[in-house]
Parts: sequence; structure tokens; C-alpha cells
Amino acid sequence: MSHTLAVDWPACKAHGLCAEILPEVVSLDQWGFPIVHEKVTRDLLDMAKTTVKACPTLALRLVASPKRH
Amino acid sequence: MTAVTTATTSARAADGSGSSAPRPIVRNEVGLDPVVSQGPALLAGIGHGPGLTAHRRRVGDAPSPTADGLVALAEAVDLRGRGGAGFPAAIKLAAAHHRKAVVVVNAAEGEPASRKDAALMALAPHVVLDGAVAVAHALKTREVHIVVPSELPSLGFVLEEALAERVDAGERITWQLHDAAPRFVAGQASAVLELLAGRENLPVTSWAPAAVRGHRRRPTLLSNAETFAHLGHMARVGASGYRAHGTAAEPGTTLLTLRGDGWDPVVCEVAYGTALRQILTPAEMDQPLLLGGYHGTWLKPAQMRDLAVSRQDIAAAGATLGAGVMLPLSAGWCPLVRTEALVEYLAGQSAMRCGPCMNGLPALAEALRDLVHRGGPVATVEALCTAVTHRGACAHPDGTARLVTSMLTRFPEEVDLHALGECRGGRHEVFA
Repeated sequence: MSHTLAVDWPACKAHGLCAEILPEVVSLDQWGFPIVHEKVTRDLLDMAKTTVKACPTLALRLVASPKRH
Repeated sequence: MTAVTTATTSARAADGSGSSAPRPIVRNEVGLDPVVSQGPALLAGIGHGPGLTAHRRRVGDAPSPTADGLVALAEAVDLRGRGGAGFPAAIKLAAAHHRKAVVVVNAAEGEPASRKDAALMALAPHVVLDGAVAVAHALKTREVHIVVPSELPSLGFVLEEALAERVDAGERITWQLHDAAPRFVAGQASAVLELLAGRENLPVTSWAPAAVRGHRRRPTLLSNAETFAHLGHMARVGASGYRAHGTAAEPGTTLLTLRGDGWDPVVCEVAYGTALRQILTPAEMDQPLLLGGYHGTWLKPAQMRDLAVSRQDIAAAGATLGAGVMLPLSAGWCPLVRTEALVEYLAGQSAMRCGPCMNGLPALAEALRDLVHRGGPVATVEALCTAVTHRGACAHPDGTARLVTSMLTRFPEEVDLHALGECRGGRHEVFA
């Protein structure tokens, strides 16, 4: 099962650590907010978990894709 | 509070309404005075006033369906939510059918142009409340919350009166009224749940649908007021009764709000399948139409000619009915200029919580102003539409981008003209 990085948009304050730690998945827009451009593949899973924990505002979640309810 | 008259004059004379019998016109004093005409199903009893006695005399007791029965009915007539997204009601009902369910009637229309829920609540409150009671019975709960827009305080009074009547009649439901904040995004589902939780009435990220985990983490059937009215009506008349109006593929009716320059908003109820030309005047049929409200999509006259009020037909035309708002453009107005003004407003309605919306919408408004008034680049506008889409707690940026994208795709000739500093709408200076 593949995973996706989901952003809690009101919580995100554009610190940009996610794009630093996981550039394979996250880039930043012109205002510094994350653009999740790739799915989290198996080899990136541990790094993605680190990214989620590293977010200063805890605005990231690793969710299983396709989205479950 | 609400005055019922039989006046048939209106600033806007609708042609060929299909029926030759004069329909009573009801003016209600809620908000911006919409002119409400009697309808075939939900608005059938507005001539008798909003009282419970008249309502009971007309339709009998509130229906008390089982959950399975209500889900089966909603599935049979393919009932969709009327808040704008058109989500199947049967799926939502089935998902919320668990222990300790909560019912939330959302009458806080986020769409600023819409007046249909306010009109329905003011003129036929018990039609909506019967629906809420039917759903509460089906989900085996007695807890019903009603969210009303605080900018229409008279609506709250109408509702308090209606609820008092029901309590006096011995109905065992715990009603709780909530005032939504007077802003565009306050009616959004997660914002409504925040309001119920006592927090600020703004959208937040929802990790699960309200029907699964909503108010106090309980399964919450949160739907728009009109949806409840349909559920109640459907439970009362059954699938075959509900099919008395509409088409085989899309049974039933829908409420519409029509608005334009220089006349009062009109709220009417039409059957699915009703041709657009039976709703709009010939003059309006010759002008672009903004369908679905400020978050809607533009249609050109050529697309409107054979279009009917039908989810399928409208989707095929690349648009959505949304919450049923129709904004015909007055002759002499440029759709680009109108869109730019709307986006300016929408940018100001951002809750300023999500980065892409907070930064992107003002940038989009600026880029669009540049395109419309100074012949600026289309590519910047397109890039900003992409930058705000799917990147927020609510669909406000998505809806704004949809409006702009539809403007670009429907009116490429006008966009080219504006690049040259020209405009077919003669009412304004392009290079102001």
C-alpha cells in the first residue's frame, strides 16, 4: 500500500522543513508552502515519518492512498 | 415577519414559465427581499403561511421512516445534497447510521448570492423541520442542531417560533440553534462543526467525513436545509410520489436563486428537466450566465439554448448547478469585468488561515485585474489557479479558481480583445 503526505493547511506556517527533509516528495510554492508532488514510495516511508515528526506545527500526516474514509 | 401577497408584478418579468395559471408571489422580508414563487413540492404550501397548524392540515404528521427505508428511498430517487457538491444523500445517511448520531441542518448559505435556503426556512420552516425529524427518527437520535446565518437575524426569530410550535405540539426533539458568522466560508461543513464545538466558525482540515466522525466525534448527518426538506418530502410521499416531478433519470425538484442587476433576487422551485429558457427571459438567454454562483462556471448563450436544469446535462456542458444560483449577465456588461470584480470579493473572503488561499487569492485577483484592465498575461492567471486548487481546508480557493478558469475557457475572444485594450462591454474604461 502506498502512502501520501497530507497537509493540514490551516496549521501549516511555511517553515519549509518538509521540503528540506523530503525533496523527493515535497517542493515549495512561491510563498514557501508545500506542494506535495509525489506519492511516498516504500523506500521513502521512514524518511516521510521523520518529516511528519519534524514539522514545527505538526501540519503533516501520512495517509494511506487511495484515501480511505 | 413575512408578508404574503398575491402581487404578480416584479421588476423582472419571467417569460414562458410553462404554466399559465397565475402563481402567488410571496415577498419575504428576510435579507434582501427575495421574490419567492409557489413551487410544486417544497414550496407548495407557502401561500398558507409558515405556521405548524396550516402545515399539518396540508401534509399530515411528520414522517417517521426507518434508516433502511430512508436510505432505500434516497437511493431510488438518487437524491443529492443541495449545498453545492451534490453528494448522494443515501451514502451519507448510511454512513451516519450508527450509535449516537447527530443531525445538523445547515441553513447558513455560504454562497453569498444564494437565498433559497433562507427563503425556504422563512416561508416553509416546517417542511425543513419535518425532514430533520424524519432523519432523526431514522438515525434513532433526538439531537438536532440548526445553523442559521447571523446576517439574517429575522430568520432566527422565524425558526424560534416554529420550534416553539413543535415543542408545544409535544414533539420530543432537542433542538439547538446556532448563529453562523457572516462570511462566505462559515457554512462549509468543517466550519459548522467548529461552530458547534464552540470554536471559531472557520474551516479546519477534516480527516474524516462528518458522517463518520463529526460533532464530538459522533456520526453526524450534516446537510443543507433544502436537502432535509427533500428528505422529509420524499419520506412522506414515497418514491413514486417524489417521481411526480422531474425526469426518470433525475426525479424531483430543486430550488433556484436568480439574481441580476436592478431587480430583487428570485427564489423558485423547478422540476429537474425544466428548460433554461422557461426560467430565464429571452433577453437573459442571449447573455452569458454564471451558473452555480460565485464559485460557479460561466455558460455562453450557445450552450444555454437547449440546456435543462439537469445535473447530467449541466455536467456535459462543463458546468455544475452548485447550490442552484443563476446570475444572468446584464446586456452591455463584460463577463471578464464581472469575473474580476467577483474574484476581488472572493479574495477578501478568505479566512486567512491556509497559506495558498491567503497568498494565492489576492495574487490571483491582482493578476486577473492586470489581465482585464491592462492586457496582462493569461499564463500568470492560469498558474495561480493551479497553485490554489486542492490546497486548503475548504473549497473556497478551488471554487474561485473554477470561476476564473471558466472565464478563460468560455471567453477566449474577449480575453484576446482585452489584451489589445478593447472590450465589447461598453460600460467601463478598460485601461482605467
